[in-house]
Amino acid sequence: MTELADINSLDLKIKTEVLALGWNPALTRAPQITITSETFRVARPKAVSLTCQGPSVPVKSFVFPEAPAWLQSLEKKAAAKRAVADDASSEGEPPSKPKPRKITHIRPPGDVIKLEDRLYYLLQPSLESLVSSGALEFPFEPFPYQFEGIAFLYPRHAAVMADEMGLGKTMQSISTMRMLLRAGEIRSVLLVCPKPLVSNWKREFNLWAPEVPISVIEGDAAKRSWLWRDNQTPVKIANYELMMRDQELVGEEGGLHFDLVVLDEAQRIKNSTSTTAEIVRGIPRTRSWALTGTPIENSTDDLVGVFEFLAPGLLTKGMDIKSMSSTAGEYIIRRTKDLVMTDMPPRLYRDAQLYLSPAQQEAYEIAEKEGVVRLEDMGQELTVQHVFELVLRLKQICNFDPLTGESAKMEQLKADLEEVAASGKKAILFSQWTRTIQEIRKHVESFGVLEYHGKVPHKQREGVIDQFKNDPSKHVILMSYGAGSVGLNLQFCEYVFLFDRWWNPAIEDQAINRAHRIGAAGAVTISRYLAVGTIEERINKVLEEKRELFNALFSETGQPAKIGFSKDEIFGLFDLRSPKGPIRLAA
Amino acid sequence: MSNRNEKNVPTLGFLTVVEHTPGALFGGLLVLNLAGRPLEFHCTAPVKANRAQEILYGPTLRPYLYGEQIGGALIAKMKTPALAICTDQEHVLALRDQSEMPVVLVPPTCSEEAAASEHSAGYRIDAAQVAVAPPHIRSFRLGQYEVAVGPQHAADQQTLEGLWQEKLIDLDLTEPFTRIREAIEEAHGVGK
Repeated sequence: MTELADINSLDLKIKTEVLALGWNPALTRAPQITITSETFRVARPKAVSLTCQGPSVPVKSFVFPEAPAWLQSLEKKAAAKRAVADDASSEGEPPSKPKPRKITHIRPPGDVIKLEDRLYYLLQPSLESLVSSGALEFPFEPFPYQFEGIAFLYPRHAAVMADEMGLGKTMQSISTMRMLLRAGEIRSVLLVCPKPLVSNWKREFNLWAPEVPISVIEGDAAKRSWLWRDNQTPVKIANYELMMRDQELVGEEGGLHFDLVVLDEAQRIKNSTSTTAEIVRGIPRTRSWALTGTPIENSTDDLVGVFEFLAPGLLTKGMDIKSMSSTAGEYIIRRTKDLVMTDMPPRLYRDAQLYLSPAQQEAYEIAEKEGVVRLEDMGQELTVQHVFELVLRLKQICNFDPLTGESAKMEQLKADLEEVAASGKKAILFSQWTRTIQEIRKHVESFGVLEYHGKVPHKQREGVIDQFKNDPSKHVILMSYGAGSVGLNLQFCEYVFLFDRWWNPAIEDQAINRAHRIGAAGAVTISRYLAVGTIEERINKVLEEKRELFNALFSETGQPAKIGFSKDEIFGLFDLRSPKGPIRLAA
Repeated sequence: MSNRNEKNVPTLGFLTVVEHTPGALFGGLLVLNLAGRPLEFHCTAPVKANRAQEILYGPTLRPYLYGEQIGGALIAKMKTPALAICTDQEHVLALRDQSEMPVVLVPPTCSEEAAASEHSAGYRIDAAQVAVAPPHIRSFRLGQYEVAVGPQHAADQQTLEGLWQEKLIDLDLTEPFTRIREAIEEAHGVGK
């Protein structure tokens, strides 16, 4: 059975009240819009401008004077040369790239101060280009060191060319004179040389500067006076001996002036108080050059003497070697064969140490013993001259026994010369004495002998040299150190004999270099004869010390133990003592 | 000082730039007559690029410094124009853009380099300049020398060949640069 549900009715009328919230009016009200502006533009960035263009560059300018004549001639020659080259190359290969070569420029010396002047020298064409272009013609292409020598001399008002003998001092000085003359930088040159060398200089000028007129001062007083004053020839050659006679003409009062004075064999003025030195110092001149292979023969004072002519007061006696070397260095150029002529044949020294023959030995011992006793007896009266006389006497005995004529050296020489003659070679023999030379001649006549010494007249000397050079039957020339040691070119000789030794190694070197010089065909063998146990050995010891001195000054290294062959050393050869103690020098 | 008739003297200019301490450039211009004789020499004070130039010029810095700044300053001082300007530095070719004179590059020979290094130990040639024939420049033969002109001025080749033929120029084109280097050293007292 289904139970009926009770229904209850409830009045749901709920009283409602509307609260006035105020929203409705608000809804009907139009919205109010506020606009806010925000700016997006930022401040303009700052720009930095960089100037790429740099500031104007300061420039220094130099303008140079008119061309030297020797360069102007190039312009004409260049055209001709080019035309020839064009002809040659038109048929064959295109011209090849220029070959690399050494370049030598004239360098201004330290005493040229003005920059413009220094640049003028520096900017001149290289000497090699002058030769290759034909502006300056040479009979032979000079060696690089010779170009350097020319570049050294060219700008200098005072210079010593002290190259070792045989390197071409003559050629270098002539070529520089030639360039200076053609450049118009000098107009008058005086060359002073020893009398025997005048003809040699003439020959060399004809070879190296054929277009330069030269005159040799010679003849009687009237002729010489005319020659001195003749201004048509730019180069005058005079000899030292003649300068003495023409002292008044060449001195201040003579009214002459030379743009350049060149002294050959300038060691002639090493003694600054000598008349020759005084005369040449008095010649009015602008430039002074000295040529010498032996600027120092005995002591550094020799160089001081030469500098009294070049730059008076620059060097002083007693200066130490180091400061002398640094002071004079700017003015001196010296090269040795070893340094520059790497392809020169060698010098082979052969020291023949010979024992005196019995007769010589006896004569020598007696002479020395008696001589020393005599010297000691002289006591305080003894002079260096007396000692010197004894030295010479003993040296002569070392050459030949005065009584028998025996000679150990002669025997050796004959054997040596046989070899020389058999091989068709030529030899030079040097001795200190003409008497010895004449004695030697008797023994070696069969080898074809010629003589060249002080007793041979000057006029014949050139003929002697020519004959020796050209006559194949002449194998040996006998020379004295004095006449034959300078200025001769005997490079066809491969043997040199020093029969006796000179006092000075420089003179010996000069003698040797007659043969050992440019053009020498082969090695030069130098035989130095030395008598064992004699004065020659003692002298040789001092000579070696002198050689050290020379090397010390010119290599700027070290100090030599001794300087020169002094009086003390000459006395020392005999260890002389008097009863009162060591002998003092009276001379 | 000179009494030459300048109008009648044909000349060649030789211009080079050397670098002493890094970045410091010295320019030199040597004017020679056709015999090789010096008639004029001009040299600049040292020129050094600033940092901004280094950055902004980039690879064109050297041509600007060598050709425009240094070369321009030097040729402005010439008393009379030359037949041509020879240089041993490629960058100097840029000078042609502001000059009426042909500018010809003569690459340095081995001997010149050796001479330069011997005499001017303080200087060095820009390594880029030592190349005998820059590959990007067409070279041609002028007398005995293999030379080149700037690529924008190829027509100069004909001008130069004509000049060399007409004036019979037989001058050593490399040697004068050695003189310039030595003169710069002397003038400035540097590199010793």
